[in-house]
Amino acid sequence: MLEWLEYTSLSIWVAESIWGYPIMLSLHIVGLAVVVGIFTVYNFRLLGFFNSLEFEPFLDFFRLAWLGLLVNFVSGFTLFSSQATFYVTNVPFLVKIFSIISGSLLALKIQLRLRSMVKARENRITKPNWEDRFYAMISLIIWTSAIFGGRLIAYF
Amino acid sequence: MTEILIRTIEGSTINSWILTTTWLWPFLEIIHFIGLSLLLGSMLVIDIRLAGYIRNMDIMRTHDLLPLAAIGLFINMVTGLLFLMGDPARYLINIGFQIKMALILLAGLNALLFSLRIKPVMTQWDPYGDTNTEAKVIAYISLILWFGVLLLGRLIPYVGTG
Repeated sequence: MLEWLEYTSLSIWVAESIWGYPIMLSLHIVGLAVVVGIFTVYNFRLLGFFNSLEFEPFLDFFRLAWLGLLVNFVSGFTLFSSQATFYVTNVPFLVKIFSIISGSLLALKIQLRLRSMVKARENRITKPNWEDRFYAMISLIIWTSAIFGGRLIAYF
Repeated sequence: MTEILIRTIEGSTINSWILTTTWLWPFLEIIHFIGLSLLLGSMLVIDIRLAGYIRNMDIMRTHDLLPLAAIGLFINMVTGLLFLMGDPARYLINIGFQIKMALILLAGLNALLFSLRIKPVMTQWDPYGDTNTEAKVIAYISLILWFGVLLLGRLIPYVGTG
């Protein structure tokens, strides 16, 4: 199945054409910056930094972050398919995938908490509680570990 | 000129320290990626609002994120300088690296333009309103330049040298 994936025309293009791989890497780093960038800013906000920023507008920024995640799912899948048999046994890659899945689920949880807070019209007065700060801390750790895994793929 | 610079760096203690310390290079790369996330994340929020979008966010307050952008930039200048010291022959003659540095310089000038032209008048704006054309142009240029920096950095290994 993985070998079949490596022989699809898309994966051959990514693996063998001059620009296929760099184009996918470019999309992947843009997505990384958007996803990790936006979630990190909001996590810092939950942890008590940049207290002047309002909560509600982050719902719009999260939409951009999810778009970034989609870009990285697609670009990441094509990068994976070009060398599927290598990636699937690469420990940093597996760490990265695990981090992204748990990071995304946690981001969804954080976003749902934000949405219910906004709905309760407590936008300007509510302070993040210990639970919000706990999720924010874990989220920062998870996205950092995703970067660790992603960067170390090439070294294992 | 570049030749002499490359040879001087390659003979330095810091050069051999970077090259011989196990796992230092990938560690610096990871820190560089974290730095770029901080920089690009805060610039995205600042510039998208400055371009007139997401108007339910107080425009004055988005600029409280500038210290985070500055921290990201600082982290990446330090780690980037260490890459340069570790492998000067790879970077100095690389066209991708050269354009990247030029774009960072332009982004700095664009930020200067912002603080000269927009910052003084911003206080009179409706904090939840639209921005003027000049501010929008500066915001879009900022986004283009920073994402250009990001892309060129990533493409350094793939573009022609010299």
